[in-house]
Amino acid sequence: MPELYKKIFIANRGEIACRAIRTCQELNIQTVAAYSDCDRLSLHVRMADEAVCLGASPGNQSYLNIPKVIAAAKSKGCDAVYPGYGFLAENASFARACEEAGLDFIGPSAEVIEKMGDKEETRRTLKEYGIPIVPGIEDIEDIKEVIAFGNEVGWPILIKAAAGGGGKGMKLVYRPEEATEAFRGAQSIAKKSFGDGRVYVEKFIANGRHIEYQFVADGFGNVVHLGERECSIQRSHQKLVEEAPSSLLTQEKRDEVGQRVVNAIKKIGYITAGTMEFLFDQEGNYYALEVNTRIQVEHTVTELITGYDLIKTMITTRAGFPLNFTQEDVVFNGHAIQCRINAEDPKKNFTPSAGPILYLKNPEGHFIRMDSGIYQGWTIPVYYDSMLCKLCAYGKDRTTAITRIKRALEELKINGVQTTQHMHIKIMDNEAFVSGNYDTTFIPTYIEELTDYDESEVEILKIARLLAESTALGKNQHCF
Amino acid sequence: MSDTKSFSAQDVLKKLRDSKQIHLTTTGPRDTGQSDYKNRHTFSDLIRLAPLYEDAGYFSVEMHGGARFHQNLLSNMLDPFEEAAAWKSTLNNTLTQTLVRSTNVWGYRSYPENVIRESVRAFTPTIDVWRCFDFLNYVPNMRPLAEEVLKEGKIFEPAISFTQSDECTNEYYLKVAREMVALCGGEKHTIICIKDMAGVGSPERTASLVDAILQEFPELIIHLHRHSTDGLGLPAMIAAAKAGAKIFDVTDDAFVRFYGQAPVRPFVALLKENGFDVNIKEKSLDDASNLVHEFIHHYEPFESQYRGPSYDVVYHRMPGGAFPSSFEQAEKGGFLHLMPWILKGMSFGNRIIRYFDVTPGSQITWTTWAGIIQRRFQEGGEEKVVQLLDFLEAFIANGQDLNALDEEARKELVRLYETASDDLRKLLLGEYGPLPFGWPENWVYRSAFGAEKWQEAIQQRDEGAPPPIEVDIESERKNLAKELNRPPTNNELVLYLQHPTGALKFFQFRKKYGNTSVLPTYAWLYGLDHKHDRVQFDSNGKPHEIRLVSIGKETEDGLVWVVLSVDNVLIEFPVETPKAQADGSVSVQFADPSKPEEVGSPMSGNIWRMGSPKRSIQEGDIVEKDEELTNIEVMKTENAVRAPFAGQIERIHIKLDDAVVEGQILFEITPLSKKAAKGNVPPLFSHIENSEEE
Repeated sequence: MPELYKKIFIANRGEIACRAIRTCQELNIQTVAAYSDCDRLSLHVRMADEAVCLGASPGNQSYLNIPKVIAAAKSKGCDAVYPGYGFLAENASFARACEEAGLDFIGPSAEVIEKMGDKEETRRTLKEYGIPIVPGIEDIEDIKEVIAFGNEVGWPILIKAAAGGGGKGMKLVYRPEEATEAFRGAQSIAKKSFGDGRVYVEKFIANGRHIEYQFVADGFGNVVHLGERECSIQRSHQKLVEEAPSSLLTQEKRDEVGQRVVNAIKKIGYITAGTMEFLFDQEGNYYALEVNTRIQVEHTVTELITGYDLIKTMITTRAGFPLNFTQEDVVFNGHAIQCRINAEDPKKNFTPSAGPILYLKNPEGHFIRMDSGIYQGWTIPVYYDSMLCKLCAYGKDRTTAITRIKRALEELKINGVQTTQHMHIKIMDNEAFVSGNYDTTFIPTYIEELTDYDESEVEILKIARLLAESTALGKNQHCF
Repeated sequence: MSDTKSFSAQDVLKKLRDSKQIHLTTTGPRDTGQSDYKNRHTFSDLIRLAPLYEDAGYFSVEMHGGARFHQNLLSNMLDPFEEAAAWKSTLNNTLTQTLVRSTNVWGYRSYPENVIRESVRAFTPTIDVWRCFDFLNYVPNMRPLAEEVLKEGKIFEPAISFTQSDECTNEYYLKVAREMVALCGGEKHTIICIKDMAGVGSPERTASLVDAILQEFPELIIHLHRHSTDGLGLPAMIAAAKAGAKIFDVTDDAFVRFYGQAPVRPFVALLKENGFDVNIKEKSLDDASNLVHEFIHHYEPFESQYRGPSYDVVYHRMPGGAFPSSFEQAEKGGFLHLMPWILKGMSFGNRIIRYFDVTPGSQITWTTWAGIIQRRFQEGGEEKVVQLLDFLEAFIANGQDLNALDEEARKELVRLYETASDDLRKLLLGEYGPLPFGWPENWVYRSAFGAEKWQEAIQQRDEGAPPPIEVDIESERKNLAKELNRPPTNNELVLYLQHPTGALKFFQFRKKYGNTSVLPTYAWLYGLDHKHDRVQFDSNGKPHEIRLVSIGKETEDGLVWVVLSVDNVLIEFPVETPKAQADGSVSVQFADPSKPEEVGSPMSGNIWRMGSPKRSIQEGDIVEKDEELTNIEVMKTENAVRAPFAGQIERIHIKLDDAVVEGQILFEITPLSKKAAKGNVPPLFSHIENSEEE
């Protein structure tokens, strides 16, 4: 009989660290938070049982520094490491280093991460296991291959970093003349960002829909898919809104694609949880893009419509327990939507906005889920991702979920930094979004309309601001 | 009056005509001792008086217009629309009243006719009585206002600008009154006000005018507005009552500050002793005055530098509103000691160019004479000032015969108006309308327009009505929308059309600080301190409480952290002190957005690369349009800053790894061709590209 972990090292920060700590608390597992200098007072550090400082704020000196993370986890007597997403979550060397240090890396094996982390390799593997993939070319030696490919499938084409992920290192090329520069640029960015300059080229699927499948797998060969998530509301390949299920898929299609995913993942030898991302075109064709060997930011909406705790499933399957449900047990109930609240100003081309959170009021009430990494009084550091929190709403149907998340978005009050909050309200009001008939061009298409809002601020806080100023300066500067 | 909810101007006028009583108007909420305190009284204090005024039985409350309108936008941060609506909704049987300055409406310049009409329409729902004066008594100027007010079924009350002087005969005023009666459609359709805004009419003079008007228009209702600057307010008012005036402006006893209206309680007592029946409940007057006593001490800092009755007003004729504010300006400008000479100068000036000293005339008089006396003082001190005043005195005494003066005096007089303001020149050109007692002598034109242009000026002069002008309201709406970043409401547009700068200042304030009219006065003026450490108020009926928890010490970078408990939630507010604002400008240099040559940082972040991946850059380098100059990292996003045009890098203000703030100057670039520099100025972010790498 396997045993559950005693103490897990959370090798991440922000909302996902908090999310993992909560599941650990439910499982009676102790947690150790990692933090960098600027994160001393971060929320995840408050929530964990213990904490270790990894060092200076820049990622490569803290959260991305493998020796430091391993040493910290060992020093606190942890028996496993939870990587979250981003940072070292899909780093095979890290997974390997954990195993070598006697720490369970809560994720698939280093070999699988390595394989799926290499986009070229992923394409080959998936193709072999019966998953359609976007037409493309790999192992490019000469730019002429790229131009020939573009001429064959039609421009534009998409250049991607083989080692990339989350949209990083992607470049759209519209004309053969641009190919050389774009190709070199992509290579240099890939090298800088991932330490691996290899890139590959794909046909660009216009007006595609980004739909991904969640799957879970144990060490006994059981694989179950938990349906899809619709993630087409994106900007520069960064998802902003995710929902489950997708209004594009019929139950029949859902089962068909899901079955294919399950079959392929079984062959890969995967454990814990992962996601297979697809692009669906207007004709109903679909192409796998990649497999993400980690928890996804948007796992929340799947949890809401299936009722399964994905992080718990990751921990138990990695600890050696079998999945305690089968594909037949999985029922999709209702509809869930997630909005990512990022510290960015949509009106200024999504310029990041760092600074202190002077006031925060989270939405509450029925069918609302808030996964947050922030609190009032905390200062958002400039070193990391700009995502502050994720707001989800659940409804028995999509219309109800939209109404609810709009209500919650209006209830959310954040003072001190600009966020994507108000833009999300505009998205929920948008006719194309409400109809469910939208694709990945949604944000650029409607950006003008979506950024036409007035930042509403709590009236009493404005009045309090005047009082604070007059108090500090001795009199009202506007009146005297 | 009773039941103004079902308001009918004709009914109100008929009731007044039939009434045997004396009726009263309180000007307190507009004036708030206008004469002092510079209209700083807060809405939260004043609105508490509304139920007492209602109960007292006032005919009307003048709570709107005049200088208060502009002051609301500039320093009270009150929306004149919201203020008017609040009064209107509190007063059921008492009428709301505004004061409008003919073509200047509530501003300081002549507005185009369509703006006037638009403004009036916007306020007719909340204003019942429109008292309107013209500083030239040029009644045609009132026509657009009268038409709009009457169209909406409200009362239009033309006011005769009154002063006491030789040319201001009863016959002159009767001529004005006839035009006013005609404008309103007959004596039964209006109330006419005698506006003695400086407080100079002797009891006998005032009574004589009332009598003369009533002789000709026995059905007309006469409303007297008489300031008390000369100290003779009450005697003049009782004399007017005896002559048949029916409505009188008064203010709460506790508001009386010498230059404003007479106190209501003594006036009522005087009326009763003289056998008049007054429609007023004295108990409510006492309550109102007691209430004023509770809060009036808050306004001490705004009290006039110069207090007390001042009989010399009968010479200089400065109106009650302008009098104390001129002292304020003189103190700020450091020439308070010149005030007696300035006032004396005015008393001669008003014989040379003859109009009524009320807005905008009083502003023209003030700037003209404050300027003349200051210049003479700079030229030759007290001696030179006294000399000029002596010349003027002699000139007036000799019947304004320039030739009878000696050479030196003549020379001085001819340069009297040499630095005339544009407004004075406009006045001389007839742009405000014809002057009531004719144009000034030619030497005045010569003085104001110079030896070469004065004849031309006289030829250009409009002898009749100034031609109506119109502005493109829709283009103004667009301008405002650009400023606000959203379409304005109609009310916002009306405020903007009247006072563009003041309105914008107010809108910005409102966006940042909300509707602060809910704040009690002490908190509004001073915030919180350890003695007044909490404030409670309602906003839309919802109770709120803000408590002071702590005030931090000023940090090295000039911040004071104030911790407030806002409805029981602790919130920290960083407040920049003047030091921070000053320091900031020293250590960080900002790009001037109007200069395309100065490339500013689009955001706060870290410079992680200088130049582009292709090449590094140095001062003197030639760069292409859109070439990447540097890259700023913020929260993992890379943000290229590109050259707005082809040019040469003149100066680099930053280096690798610098932390920069939004707007900070990064580069100065000289365009390769002058043409490029004059091309379209790129919007702030046009040369910024958020990298797609993320």
